[in-house]
Amino acid sequence: MILNRQSVELLAPVGSQEVLVAAVEAGADAVYLGGKRFNMRLHRSDANFDDAGLAKAIAYAHAHNVRLYITVNNLISESELPLLKEYLQLLNELQPDALIVQDLSVLALAKEIGLTVPLHASVMMNTHNEHAVRTLQEQGITRVVTNREMSLAQLALLKERTGIEIEYFIHGDMCIAHSGQCLHSGIIFGQSSNRGRCLKTCRWPYELVDAKTGTVLGKEDPGPYKLALKDMCMYRHLPELIQSGVCSFKIEGRMRTADFVKRIVSVYRRAVDRYLADPTGYYYDPADWKDLFENRNRDFSTCYAISAPGAEAIGYNGQREPRFFSQAVREPGLPTTLHTLPSTSTNKNRANLAVRVSDLASLTAACQNGANVVYIGGDSFKPHTPWSLKEIAAAIETASQHNAQVVVMTPRITMERECSELEPFLTQLTTLRPAGVMVSNLGALRLAKQFTDLPIYTDYSFNVFNSATIGLLSSLSVAQSTLSLEATQEQIFALAKNSTLPLELIVHGPLETMVMDHCVPSAVLGLSATAGNDAILNTTSFALLDTAGQKHPLVIDQYGRNHILLAKDLCLFPLLSNFTALSSLRLECQHYTVDTVAAVTALYRQELDGIAAPAATTAEDSAQRLEQLRAVSPSELGIGVMRYRTSR
Amino acid sequence: MLHRIGILQLTQYLDEAVQGFKTGLSEKNIAAEFLYYNADGNEQELPALARKLKEAAVEMIFACSTPAALAAIQHAPQTPVIFTPVFDPVGTGLVNSLTQPGGWATGAAGRVAAAEKINFIRRLLPDARSIGCLYHLHDANAVLEVAGFRALELPFSWQEIPFENPAALSLLPDLLPENIDALFLPIGRAAEDNFASIVYYTDSVNLPVIASHPPNVAAGALAALTANHFRLGITCAEKAAAILGGTPIGSISISQAENPDIILNRFSATNLGIELPADLIKQAKEIID
Repeated sequence: MILNRQSVELLAPVGSQEVLVAAVEAGADAVYLGGKRFNMRLHRSDANFDDAGLAKAIAYAHAHNVRLYITVNNLISESELPLLKEYLQLLNELQPDALIVQDLSVLALAKEIGLTVPLHASVMMNTHNEHAVRTLQEQGITRVVTNREMSLAQLALLKERTGIEIEYFIHGDMCIAHSGQCLHSGIIFGQSSNRGRCLKTCRWPYELVDAKTGTVLGKEDPGPYKLALKDMCMYRHLPELIQSGVCSFKIEGRMRTADFVKRIVSVYRRAVDRYLADPTGYYYDPADWKDLFENRNRDFSTCYAISAPGAEAIGYNGQREPRFFSQAVREPGLPTTLHTLPSTSTNKNRANLAVRVSDLASLTAACQNGANVVYIGGDSFKPHTPWSLKEIAAAIETASQHNAQVVVMTPRITMERECSELEPFLTQLTTLRPAGVMVSNLGALRLAKQFTDLPIYTDYSFNVFNSATIGLLSSLSVAQSTLSLEATQEQIFALAKNSTLPLELIVHGPLETMVMDHCVPSAVLGLSATAGNDAILNTTSFALLDTAGQKHPLVIDQYGRNHILLAKDLCLFPLLSNFTALSSLRLECQHYTVDTVAAVTALYRQELDGIAAPAATTAEDSAQRLEQLRAVSPSELGIGVMRYRTSR
Repeated sequence: MLHRIGILQLTQYLDEAVQGFKTGLSEKNIAAEFLYYNADGNEQELPALARKLKEAAVEMIFACSTPAALAAIQHAPQTPVIFTPVFDPVGTGLVNSLTQPGGWATGAAGRVAAAEKINFIRRLLPDARSIGCLYHLHDANAVLEVAGFRALELPFSWQEIPFENPAALSLLPDLLPENIDALFLPIGRAAEDNFASIVYYTDSVNLPVIASHPPNVAAGALAALTANHFRLGITCAEKAAAILGGTPIGSISISQAENPDIILNRFSATNLGIELPADLIKQAKEIID
């Protein structure tokens, strides 16, 4: 590969005009910044650019031969769609060099208004496989900011197979959870990470405990900040980075000062230039490294770029944490009075009752107690084992005996290995004929379209927050979409009114708020990848205990990924009549015992039947059922984001 | 003549003070080049930055925040230091007295007088009978502000709710008295930084919060009465002009924050079922929707 100055783009973060000048002077090839709207990093009102400021910034950057990308990277609510359209029209007039986007609605609106500015997929799109990239390319995306869980080797392959431009975070503050997939702040505080308002619950102190006994695990606890990822720093691995085919080296930190940005850009600028001029004679500059290291915010890690970093990537003692945004809070329970809205439904009981289960016995229990649809497969949590094709066939057979349908799920995160496994799996499914296949990311969606003719459902991981996104999914042959878990009643009603697809809402069960490649128990307990460790990971029920005294179950899937659950199980039972106009209401029962699955399904069935035939049921019946639900639930119950009027 | 002035800032949140300072100097036709350092919230970086300013031989340092002022005094000795919005210039040892600072520092204090805050609470919530005051027991500014309230005769009953450390805010429902009508937060970093957790709990019991830190209003507090940082910066520029004109810094008195800003949150008011008084709306510098 012949390298020149155009081979690598050094991309700097900018939050103000002053920082822009500093970044350009320090040698950035490109900068990214946000407007005052539809932009992440909204904690501060004094940062980001107003419309006049955007025009000025573009003029300044272009006068200095620097490319400028504007972040339009929030999830968009239904009520914001008209404003977004106006904003995109303005940006089309301003002509920056690209827009960095998260919400699929932007892709749809871009087509509608004939936007000529190139589009880059934000890291919040959680792009981690070639099939997702291909889908995005077809939708007009020219560059992806890939998932930070991807290694350089995977990036090289992705680049080779798709030809897409790859932007990769090389320096700064990182999330521990897969980007765009963390719902903790959004559900608890009503302030969504996907809308630029993350309150960084991953920076809280936690104890790793046995969920059943409450015993603290790990004799030599490395410290309370078990999810506090260190800052990314690729300075000492620049040659590997350049040779991986990453075209844009992205520095994190749009709220940083001019001084900070200037230092980081200058150091990387010097290194990139030296490497391009003399690759074989290159060695990193120890003085520059010392400067970076001594002025670091947190300690450094290479995160997933080289290999899975394990415990080394975590700053357990919290001493280098510059700022905490929140303290742990007790999750909301079921309120005595609920803020309800009048249902728009005239067609009661249209909604299917769907139940997600983890094994055949639970599937039978769900079917026997009134489930219309059962979800199986996808992520399978220890101690359960993944569904075999034989078990899936048996599940379809059992469900059909109860007039129920089976929809087979695919894993939430599908890296290269999982994608390769999906191809034969989906082909087999076509023969087994379940009622549908539910996918969790754009790559799996593409594979499902390619290898089956089954109806395709999308899961909540698509973060469906507006009808334009649904329109785009509809154009990709999706048959039903699950709503975002961060949408409140008002937002759901507004969205459902304009939806072109049947919609599903999750109404009960433990909710996952973070999914991460980092294995917390392995790191905390110092487990190495030996056979003996499987026993501990397979047989212990882990939980993270926070300072509010709540236990968040931590479950491990068949790929070793960790999923963190809310301490309280979602229960929208008291609000159920508001949602019957939706096509499907889902119970997440995959972590429940067979008896609990049976009881929970039966109670929701009775309630839905009661709503459909109000003459035959009373408010006391409902209250009684809610009490029974509390009694059988293994955790306390709560209403999640529904405590808020709107999610911000 | 082009003067050489250092700026030492703790966080970007204090940008308005810097802008006020620069504006004030330019209004006085004082031409200056600025050496600007911002610690971006990391207090431990301040001493090194102050030393850099000393080495650069600046004529004076404009220090934003108490830690920045302390670092400048300690690590750039014998350089005039003009500070704002320092809450307690005497108590923190920056100066000997407000009228006769005495040493190498003067400036504009950022503390809004307790009496003004009491009047503001009264106007905002005229029917409130009992106010809770949540403060960090080990934060000098918070402790001082609470003492200021304590020293006055209050038009409502006053219940102090001290907390030991930020983690204690996780259990705020156990700390909150049942019978308060509003919660007041004095100046203090622990409560300001962890405001999301505080308002999470107060919202669930419909309790309005009156804050002292402007960003907390945007994040869900009902209102705040705060010093105007831009004006404080202008005041500091006047003192800089006097120093450049030859007045000994030790004789330039410390100014107090006057005409504080009112910031209101209409979204929170609606959620809490509170009608914001028309006169406050009229006077507000900013209303969050």
